[in-house]
Amino acid sequence: MSATTSSLEPLFTILSYSYATLETNFYKLPGSSVVARYVKSSHQNDPGRTLLEVFLIIFAIRTLLQSRTRADNSGKHFISFDEKEIDELVDEWTPEPLAAELSPKEQAELASIPVIVGPTGPKPKLSNGKTVLNLASYNFTGLAGNEDIKQSGVETLRKYGLGSCGPPGFYGNQDVHIQLEKDIADFLGTESAILYSQAFSTISSVIPAFCKRGDLIVADRGVNFSIQKGLQISRCTVRWYDHNDLNSLEQVLEAIEKERQKKRSPLTRRFIVTEGIFDHDGAMSDLPKLLKFKYRLILDESISFGSVGRTGRGLTELYNVPADQVDMLVGSVANGLASAGGFCAGTNIVVNHQRINGTSFVFSAAMPALLTVAASEGISILRNTPSILSTLQENIRAVRVILDRVDCISIPSHPASATIHLHVKLPSPMHLSPRVPPPSPSLSSSSSGKPSNPLSPTPREAPQFDAELEEKLLQDVVEEALAQGVLITRAKRLRGQELNDIRPSIRLAISAALNKKDCEKAANVVKAAFVKIVGRQRR
Amino acid sequence: MAINPASPTPSMFRKKPSSAMSTAASYLSAVSKADARARGLNGGSTTSTPALSLSSSVTSSSEDTVLHEDIGDSADGLYYPSVPPTSEQVFTTVHTEFGHCANESYRYTSRHTPGEPVKGVVEQDPPYYILITTYVSYLLVICIGHLRDFIGKRFKPSAFRHLMTQDGYAALNSDFDSFYTRRLKSRIDDCFSHPVTGVPGRTILLLDRYSTDHNVTFQPTGTRTRGLNISSYNYLGFAQGDGPCADAVEESVARYGVSACSTRREVGTLDLHLQAEALVARFMGMESALISSMGFATNSTIIPALVSKGCLVISDEFNHASIRYGVRLSGANVRMFKHNNMQALESLLREVISQGQPKTHRPWKKILIIVEGLYSMEGTLVNLPALLELKKKYKFYLFVDEAHSVGAMGPHGRGVADYFDVNPRSIDILMGTFTKSFGAAGGYIAGNKALIERLRISSHYSAYTEAMAPPVLTQVMASMASIMGVTIIPETKNSSSLSLLHSSNAIPVPVTNLEATAYPGTAPSTALPNWVSLPPSLCDGSDGRMR
Repeated sequence: MSATTSSLEPLFTILSYSYATLETNFYKLPGSSVVARYVKSSHQNDPGRTLLEVFLIIFAIRTLLQSRTRADNSGKHFISFDEKEIDELVDEWTPEPLAAELSPKEQAELASIPVIVGPTGPKPKLSNGKTVLNLASYNFTGLAGNEDIKQSGVETLRKYGLGSCGPPGFYGNQDVHIQLEKDIADFLGTESAILYSQAFSTISSVIPAFCKRGDLIVADRGVNFSIQKGLQISRCTVRWYDHNDLNSLEQVLEAIEKERQKKRSPLTRRFIVTEGIFDHDGAMSDLPKLLKFKYRLILDESISFGSVGRTGRGLTELYNVPADQVDMLVGSVANGLASAGGFCAGTNIVVNHQRINGTSFVFSAAMPALLTVAASEGISILRNTPSILSTLQENIRAVRVILDRVDCISIPSHPASATIHLHVKLPSPMHLSPRVPPPSPSLSSSSSGKPSNPLSPTPREAPQFDAELEEKLLQDVVEEALAQGVLITRAKRLRGQELNDIRPSIRLAISAALNKKDCEKAANVVKAAFVKIVGRQRR
Repeated sequence: MAINPASPTPSMFRKKPSSAMSTAASYLSAVSKADARARGLNGGSTTSTPALSLSSSVTSSSEDTVLHEDIGDSADGLYYPSVPPTSEQVFTTVHTEFGHCANESYRYTSRHTPGEPVKGVVEQDPPYYILITTYVSYLLVICIGHLRDFIGKRFKPSAFRHLMTQDGYAALNSDFDSFYTRRLKSRIDDCFSHPVTGVPGRTILLLDRYSTDHNVTFQPTGTRTRGLNISSYNYLGFAQGDGPCADAVEESVARYGVSACSTRREVGTLDLHLQAEALVARFMGMESALISSMGFATNSTIIPALVSKGCLVISDEFNHASIRYGVRLSGANVRMFKHNNMQALESLLREVISQGQPKTHRPWKKILIIVEGLYSMEGTLVNLPALLELKKKYKFYLFVDEAHSVGAMGPHGRGVADYFDVNPRSIDILMGTFTKSFGAAGGYIAGNKALIERLRISSHYSAYTEAMAPPVLTQVMASMASIMGVTIIPETKNSSSLSLLHSSNAIPVPVTNLEATAYPGTAPSTALPNWVSLPPSLCDGSDGRMR
């Protein structure tokens, strides 16, 4: 016994000595006494407590050291392979071709796209050498080819060159852009406006700039593709109401309010997103009624700006509503002013927020100065010549008078809309699927007792139609009209990518550049083509 | 950086009392001639045309700008006026937009030496004291910002209305989300969105402004400052208000107006679009190409047509926002790899191919790797040879975004494929923009014919967005042709651009002989509209080469 203790003695001395040095050195460290005090107080003569703390510290260190991407590999779905197996799997894997071959139908469509040789306008020349009446281009106010615009365009070119060579944040912000933004804001009567360089990318950037995950958007079921993409990218909660049906909207809003009170959730940002004149069918929103809810309104006026109202200011002018009541008024410079780009008008706060948060504003080059000045010039022409819009409305009426009473055409568009959508109307017994009248707001809500599910973009009673057949008929109509010297087009959509299946239509875009006689002539050609093609189908 | 208008660079404009130069314009004309001659001497090429595109007013006054060759003092090819021009005179002429570099020794060809490793990212870790002081300053600014918010909301609620719930509306912006913008960025807002005017060329004219309310609003002072421009993406100097490209654009405005007024799939296809697309395809050495009216939208509206659910996109971590946006819209799965790190990419590829789709483990439909040729934010170059090696083994598709590299890289200006001397057709999709090297706007996608036709049918771009405006198309064609050089193909019955369009609306690539399809070849004269006339210096490509 004593022998062992004596042999261990030097070891103990060394241990106790080193312990003593450690302790003194430890207390020399600044702040060490605090640690010591903490350890002492937490120990409290209970080794269990200390052990627990030590485990906690080890666990914390382990968590910190863990790589963040590890989760992917260690997930329960991860299968580990050795290198050889991976090589085999790599060899085995054959990807699909990058682009699927075009079907014969798609090839035919590609071949049928008309090519305009020379300038577009009311009477363009096609690649087959024929001059046609144009009822297809977005040239509502007839600004395309305007000599004053060309003149100022060339002057701008000589002063600014063509490209802006930079995004607005980095020296791409030319005085002409500021001027156009000011012109648009003044024209509409808002505090401020912001210019995007492509119309399609405007609203799909505006929506995600304001609406984030957790925010609430109430949207029309018939909104255009750009809005759909904006909603998708914003990742916020979307509730849908029936297309252009304010009763349905009210029901949805009531349900939302009830749900909120039940859950006692705080007030989140809430928006109503809709269009002025719908791109899909030309129906018009009832703007004053949309404004009475305590929701911010994002209104897409891509079609209505530059085509309705006394001087083309759009829906706000038509309904005589101050434009500053619409929180975000989005419009298309490309359609409305026959130039390029889009804008969002609103308060200074709304606009300045987008200058750093609007993705396609921040990350894209500013619009070429030439096109910007062309748009500014367009606005001043619209301001000074209200007769343009009255001519446009007369032309629309002239066309509608002829086409409204054709029994093989149904028109869902508003009578004042410069885009007129023509659906094929086939008698029901002829057809395989039961025919439901085209979705007119009053009918669809009254006919169905139950409202549609606001969580789903598809309405409860989706209109039934045979898209393939109708597309084919409409394409035949387009070709027939073209043979008679009238350029019209089907409204081209990405079937399958849109939220809802949209009924195929021919979209006429009326222009003030045509005279009334030409419009009547063109409408008669369209009518005759419809009667001929759809009539043949009936027999 | 603003140039002090009172002090022209002394080394260039030394005072020489003997010769008399009356105006700044004549002076500049002389400079340009000397410039052209110097280039002629040093380069050995016989450029007889003036390199600078002088406006008519300048050339008409060439009477009094005869250069006296015997005066001497021509060591650097420049002659000196009796009175040095003031800065204002210098900068109000075309010389502010573009000028050739007269010193040949500054020129070099951007070309990758085969075998040499591609330089990776130069990691520049800042020293610790910089890191710490930066974080401390951030902390300070953040604390002050919160303090200001706290006090401001109580004492000046009107300025914070958009951040607070009011009148039944929720706050427009959450004060937390917008904190960075309001409290940090606004301090340096005077650096951003500075209004400019005029051509963003060699120099740029800034509109001065000042702020009285801490950068919330800016007031113009009405004065202007001319600055040396190293900020605009005008790599080749094609952003010009004068010269053959601008002349061509002017002609196109007169002929076509400013808009195509529709989408490409409806009635927005002009003959110009087809011609420009054929030229772009030729320039890139690809079968076919498609032109989109906005650079950002080229990615954001076309990537969704390439990949969909069940596909995987592998994206470099520093890819541009437009690529991320497009990928998010497409619904495909996304994985990122460390910037330009080919080892990381390979191990990721091995993982994803062996694992297949998450949860289901089904094989991926396709894997698309998206990289940029020249990264916009880092300035690094993609390791294309290594990527193509990997492509052979792992069978993925490759998408190269050449927004910055096209026109600016490679001995023929055709981008990274040219730089690395690889066949562009070994890359599946070449995307790029016209904003930068071509001084225009918009973007393109080039690839094989089947791919481009698929995109024409099913991309968001062709169905919903406005077609590119004719003047922009013309600028693209004129600048691109002058980089390529133009070969005059004798007019035969079928080769005039119009009759080709008449025969069919297929893309009019005049495949007349082998030379016409060679890459990197010149543009056949038939690929341009017959009303575009480029001067000889552009046609033989010498101007493009010298840029």
